[in-house]
Amino acid sequence: MAVTNISPRKKKLDEDNVYLPSIAVIDRIIEETPSVRTLHFNFKEEKLRKRFSFESGQFAELSVFGVGEATFCISSSPTRNDHLECAVNRVGLVTNALHRLGVGAEIGFRGPYGNSFPLELMRGKNLVFVGGGIGLAPLRSVIYNVLDNRNEYGKINIIYGARTPADLCFKYDLDSWRKDKSIDVAITVDKGDESWTGTEGFVPAVLEQVAPSASDAMAIVCGPPIMIRFTFPVLEKLSFAPEQIITTLEKRMKCGIGKCGRCNIGNIYVCRDGPVFTYAQMKNFISDEY
Amino acid sequence: MEQELRKEAKKLLEEGKVDYIVGFATGSLKFSTTPLITRDKEEVASLVINPFIVNNLAKFLTQLPGRVGIVAKGCDSRSIVSLIQDNQVVRENIVIIGVPCSGLIDMVKVEKLVGRDRDEIDDVSLKGGKVTVVIGGQKTELPTEKVLFDSCLGCESPSAREYDTFIGEPGKETGGRGLGKDKIKELESMTTEERWEFWKTQFSRCIRCYACRQVCPACFCERCFVEESEPQWVLPAPKWQDNLIFQVIRNIHVAGRCTDCGACERVCPVNIPLRSLTKKMCGLVSEMFNYEAGTDKNAPPLMTAYEYEEAKDLIR
Amino acid sequence: MTIKKISKKDMVELLLDWGREMTVLVPSRDKGVTEMTEWDGKDISFLGWYRNTVIPTKSSFLPPVEEMFTFQKNGNGYQIEVSPGQGKRVVFGVRPCDARAIAIMDKVFTDSHEDPYYVSKRKNTVLIGLGCTNPYDSCFCTSSGISPAESTDVDLMFTDIGDDFVIEEITEVGKELLATASIVKKASQADAVTMKKARAAVSGMVTRKVDTKNIVDKLQACFNDSDFWEKVAAKCVGCGVCTLLCPTCCCFDICDELFKKQGARYRTWDSCGFSSYTKMPMENPREEKWRRVRQKVCHKYEFFPMNSEVIACTGCGRCIRLCPVNWDITEVLASVPAEQPIKNK
Repeated sequence: MAVTNISPRKKKLDEDNVYLPSIAVIDRIIEETPSVRTLHFNFKEEKLRKRFSFESGQFAELSVFGVGEATFCISSSPTRNDHLECAVNRVGLVTNALHRLGVGAEIGFRGPYGNSFPLELMRGKNLVFVGGGIGLAPLRSVIYNVLDNRNEYGKINIIYGARTPADLCFKYDLDSWRKDKSIDVAITVDKGDESWTGTEGFVPAVLEQVAPSASDAMAIVCGPPIMIRFTFPVLEKLSFAPEQIITTLEKRMKCGIGKCGRCNIGNIYVCRDGPVFTYAQMKNFISDEY
Repeated sequence: MEQELRKEAKKLLEEGKVDYIVGFATGSLKFSTTPLITRDKEEVASLVINPFIVNNLAKFLTQLPGRVGIVAKGCDSRSIVSLIQDNQVVRENIVIIGVPCSGLIDMVKVEKLVGRDRDEIDDVSLKGGKVTVVIGGQKTELPTEKVLFDSCLGCESPSAREYDTFIGEPGKETGGRGLGKDKIKELESMTTEERWEFWKTQFSRCIRCYACRQVCPACFCERCFVEESEPQWVLPAPKWQDNLIFQVIRNIHVAGRCTDCGACERVCPVNIPLRSLTKKMCGLVSEMFNYEAGTDKNAPPLMTAYEYEEAKDLIR
Repeated sequence: MTIKKISKKDMVELLLDWGREMTVLVPSRDKGVTEMTEWDGKDISFLGWYRNTVIPTKSSFLPPVEEMFTFQKNGNGYQIEVSPGQGKRVVFGVRPCDARAIAIMDKVFTDSHEDPYYVSKRKNTVLIGLGCTNPYDSCFCTSSGISPAESTDVDLMFTDIGDDFVIEEITEVGKELLATASIVKKASQADAVTMKKARAAVSGMVTRKVDTKNIVDKLQACFNDSDFWEKVAAKCVGCGVCTLLCPTCCCFDICDELFKKQGARYRTWDSCGFSSYTKMPMENPREEKWRRVRQKVCHKYEFFPMNSEVIACTGCGRCIRLCPVNWDITEVLASVPAEQPIKNK
């Protein structure tokens, strides 16, 4: 027979299979709010634990085998890499399944995918972090990244809000940042409860009140799309140029590697060309479908 | 007749009685038509009536805002009535323009009989109970029973029963030619195992394009059960088991509202005989409840209303 | 290149020859729809009826359902077994439109993150093109830069010259496949001339044309014209026929199945035309149908060419033939407004 390299037995596709998750084991669960929990996990295989690296802003596809896969940003910092963390908001099939798992459960991990926060642009600048709800998760990764290299950055403002006090995520981080004198923390809720003594108001409004200076500064925004849409005009009012504003886009994703087409907006794929974008880049997007 | 239709449609738009006209225009392929949805009173000059006006236009009533003037064959009007019963369409917001129908030509049947594809055929026309096919100057006559759609052969209401205007003469009731029930009889004569194998083979072809669901006027749910993930009723993947369950559940969901118009079978790109299911379901509905969908706009929808007497049979 | 020749009646022997060591796929209609399926070893009647299959050749590289791996639950953990790769096979009868479509799909699946399932199929498949003799009236391949009767996107190209096929060896793989096929003869100069004439004749039979000059800019200019797109989308019913059966469309979904501790992960066809495609818990950026229709047109004729310099459409015409409402992409493209001068930002 003429064809060379005939192998009648089919080869297994185990190696370099981009769709094959690595196995990770959950070793700690923190219930942040009634619908959000943080999973702390580590790869089962020690070689992978040692080899794995990622950058703040990148995301992963976590699997619950038999249920499916979903996209989560890695909320731990690469500077604290004894374990990995992801924050899971209970909204659908896979996230509900992740909420039913306990410590010791095995999940699948594919990643890290996407681009990362541009630390090289942020170095030496004053940083204004604006977060809403679970949007604090990707910001948290870069905040700790920055704090672990504190003297490379200028002033830090953190403005964070949630719908109600019970919806505030990462309360332990907020406490620790509040105690840090080099960080200016402003926390707000849309609506307080009986025991809430702090600020009440939407995040963009509180941002306007805090009015951080745009001079030599970068703003990093993450939260629900509606919050982002109202935050951008406030930042522009405070004289932030679009190149000084960074955000990370949430989009329904599946493969994470620019093939399945789901996260395609105009000629970009959010999973491959993002999810981190500057506002300047977003203004040039062909499509407004984000 | 087409002139009359175009005049009427233009009048409705000019007088502001409707915001949209929905009808048929000549398609871009031979022996095809395409839905015409327009607000432009000049565009209605493209409206046509011919034996290829196959789409069930009632589907568009649940998609268009405002008042709609809709061209309706008999089967379409039953779907419209069914939508009125379901409160999906307000009767006062639509103007139904009935058009006569002597049956629609199934080009797939024609192609099989003459051994050529439709783009190789010069002309197909329907007149006086006969269909004439012209290929390369050669004429062939085919009896209508051989080339009309199965759903047309079993049609008991070729003319719109509910209408505001009627173009031409309402067709005579044919009293149901009784044809088109052969496939059901064939399936009913199979053993359970044979039938299971039959449907397994049919649904192995399904690619879950959802054309059947999308053209069905009775499928107006904003969120279809297949899009639910908690619980996940069927896998998104087109495995034959899930394809079969999808179609069975769809039939159950439209039971009592399906008028067996045949749109689902006609649009299936992989030729699954879906009308065998819908027609069987219509038969069951008729047997169990003595009810035919889309015949009485004032009747309550079958599955959401019951008479006390019925409970005695159903609840034992 | 040397061209070879085989008479149509010798095709069975050639296919049997290949079939000894490889799976052979040919056009068939036995299963209720025309598609490429495993050859039964004797029937070549497809040489008579075959124009093109409803299910495109892409299904041989990106199947409607594909098992990626299986898993078995034990305790807290899972035993994963990856599905095997593709064995050697030949796909005979690929039309130039479908062959070019595979070359376009290659751009998606063989980039930096190589797709192992697709690549395994691609590497183990010999594509054998078969030039058309009878294009449909819905075909518009000549407007997509390809010719209905010739192709270089395949390993071997068969052209019909009546009782015989003229065979061009396009790649080394194709050449090797023919090397020991004694039934294949050398073609003469006269055969080459006949082939050229036949090809020109078939090209002339493609009557549907679409002008894609400057289509990227034209679509960019009217992207935000929601009135235009609402009109374009009005009669679309929102099914997935055009995208699922398009040979270049390759959007997919990934889903899991688990039953009694055993399960699998599948990759399956998906469509940007479905309303749940971009749906997120809080919102759906493409809630309205006209946005999804716009995405389909613009992805194929604007975004994909912006990234890959080629329009993601090969003019096979399936979308026009099979659309339940005869929504016609060539009509839509012809109606895209002429480009307005773009104001400087």
